[in-house]
Amino acid sequence: MSSAAPTTSSNFDTDKIMLTARELFCARDDRVLFKNLNFDLPEGQVLQVQGSNGSGKTTLMRILCGLNDSYEGSIKWYGQEIEDQAASFFSSLLYIGHRVGVSKVLTPVENLRWSCSLKQAVSDEQIMAALKEVGLRGFEESPCYTLSAGQQQRVSLARLIISPASLWVLDEPFTTLDTKGVALLENILQRQAHEGGSVMVTTHHSLSIPELTVLSLG
Amino acid sequence: MWVWFFKLGSPKWFYELSGKWLPWLIGAMVIFMTVGVVWGLVFLPPDYQQGFTSRILIVHVAVAGTSLAFFPLMFVAGTITLVWRMKLADMVAKHAAILGAWFSFITLATGSLWGSVMWGTWWEWTDSRLVSMLFQLFLLLGVISLRSALEDSDAAAKACALLSIVGCINVVIIKYSVEWWNTLHQVSSPVTTDASSPNGPEFWIATLIMIVAVYLFLSVSLILSTRNEILERERKAQWVQDLVLKS
Amino acid sequence: MTEKQTTTSAAFFATLKRDLLIAFKKKNDIVNPFMFFIIVVSLFPIGISPESDRLTEIAAGVIWISVLLASMLSMDNLYRSDFEDGSLEQLLLSPHPLFFLVLAKNISHWLVSGLPVVLVSPLLAYMLALPEEAYGTLVLSLLLGTPIMSLVGSIAVALTVGLGSRGLILAVITLPMSVPVLIFGTLAVQSTLNSQSPLGYLSLMLVMLSVSVSLAPLASAAALRISVN
Repeated sequence: MSSAAPTTSSNFDTDKIMLTARELFCARDDRVLFKNLNFDLPEGQVLQVQGSNGSGKTTLMRILCGLNDSYEGSIKWYGQEIEDQAASFFSSLLYIGHRVGVSKVLTPVENLRWSCSLKQAVSDEQIMAALKEVGLRGFEESPCYTLSAGQQQRVSLARLIISPASLWVLDEPFTTLDTKGVALLENILQRQAHEGGSVMVTTHHSLSIPELTVLSLG
Repeated sequence: MWVWFFKLGSPKWFYELSGKWLPWLIGAMVIFMTVGVVWGLVFLPPDYQQGFTSRILIVHVAVAGTSLAFFPLMFVAGTITLVWRMKLADMVAKHAAILGAWFSFITLATGSLWGSVMWGTWWEWTDSRLVSMLFQLFLLLGVISLRSALEDSDAAAKACALLSIVGCINVVIIKYSVEWWNTLHQVSSPVTTDASSPNGPEFWIATLIMIVAVYLFLSVSLILSTRNEILERERKAQWVQDLVLKS
Repeated sequence: MTEKQTTTSAAFFATLKRDLLIAFKKKNDIVNPFMFFIIVVSLFPIGISPESDRLTEIAAGVIWISVLLASMLSMDNLYRSDFEDGSLEQLLLSPHPLFFLVLAKNISHWLVSGLPVVLVSPLLAYMLALPEEAYGTLVLSLLLGTPIMSLVGSIAVALTVGLGSRGLILAVITLPMSVPVLIFGTLAVQSTLNSQSPLGYLSLMLVMLSVSVSLAPLASAAALRISVN
């Protein structure tokens, strides 16, 4: 059904392994999405999850974040159960899904003020700098419904720049981005890996990141 | 590992166990039902005050008493669904809601039938039991419609479990607040608090037999519909396919 | 990185502020249920009787039922847009207890939908010929009752937020649950009209409010997790 990533855990110190997934099994309405899925996500790595439509990529991402609990198997955070250290796990986690979490009524600044403050304290200067970096200078105070889909996606990318979270779980973050945006996001992902953080990302793009490992589903 | 056992083992275990119990339960139900109906509804002399309407009351009291069991049952099943994620509990809860709605409806129907003779009216807002039964029916219909609205069976199970728990707490609050509300509006109530006090002991024994019969009927129908649900939901499981092939 | 983490109260106030901000930017969502409330109340005298004696009798019930209907309409916005744009997922993934974040959303919802109704109720009470001595009780009972409805209704909204076409399912689930609030709210006003003390009923409502505040957000939080699953 699925093949595990060729991650040989002997290369890594075990306490450098952020996420360990063992024997994951998930079925939705009698259809098995994946079974026997094993992988490790060490610090400083970008793990690209690939698979055809309907192979359970989104479900896997949501399972890892704890948004979906209809699965079997174990997921560990630095070798311990996630429930036992939920607060530490959730403050180290940043998730951007298909729905990017940007309210259309609010401006980019207002959106970021709220979504960042759910995790950590953030100053307006940081927000402005991040918006500038994702190319939204001049749009800081326009309501998000006036922005294009790609620009709204960029608002969510600004969260990546601001956030100190060590684990990013990104579900199809490239879909609405233009070429410049893709390069920008690749750059951001690479920076995260260099700083010792990790990324799980689903995309059909072939990424040019040295720290990349690929996990194939379905 | 034991989660697996719970999830997959339970329905099969229940199916086999209930298969052994069913004949006994059905037998007991038939006996009690026959005794209750023949004695209570045919041979028992009519009450000197209420006349033949006391016979409706036998059925009404039995069904009403049973209707009160549904929300507590769904509360327990809902807790099991949410905490231990037992699929079986949800299957029971699904049919408990439907049966509960029917029982509540029959309670209301027999109650107003009795009321039409005794009080001269089909509906009486001053009877707190009728009013709270009406709202129990509404709450049960809410649970049923929530389940039919949710497509994903796993989400439906959890959502209905939560709503049943909230609903059970609510039914209790509604019951007491309606009673209270009622005592304040009882200016011209035709309802005595103990509607069947003038009846003799035979009447109570007949009612008691009927209550047992209705409870048995409830258990049998709940088990039968749960067994069907098990076959439906576990149709991909090996043991169900073996079972179907054998028969 | 954890030393920069916000306190739960900061996250609570950030959520409260955000929801109020959204409410003020989408004024329709506030104004329409409010207008609905006033229009429904105004229809009763036309449908029943313009005589002030009969209006006095039904005034409290009419206002309370209209409040119930209006609050149900406005509840629809509570989690809907957050669910659609993905903000709800962000809320669920916060390291802070979901209880407080849900409570913040409920409070903000009550501030923009419940409070205006409470404030305008004396005016409508006057139009329905409710004697003046009952105004205070009416306002107090609404002040205690509307947050209970917001909190309890929030559970049903959270359960149905994922449904594509909800129709009236929200009403079918929530309205029966509002019976106790309706009973005590109207009884409080009635007892004032009969020159009895409404304190018993009001304190019962206070008890119900405190129970709702401490339990309903838990159920809403669980319901949101189920719906987002």
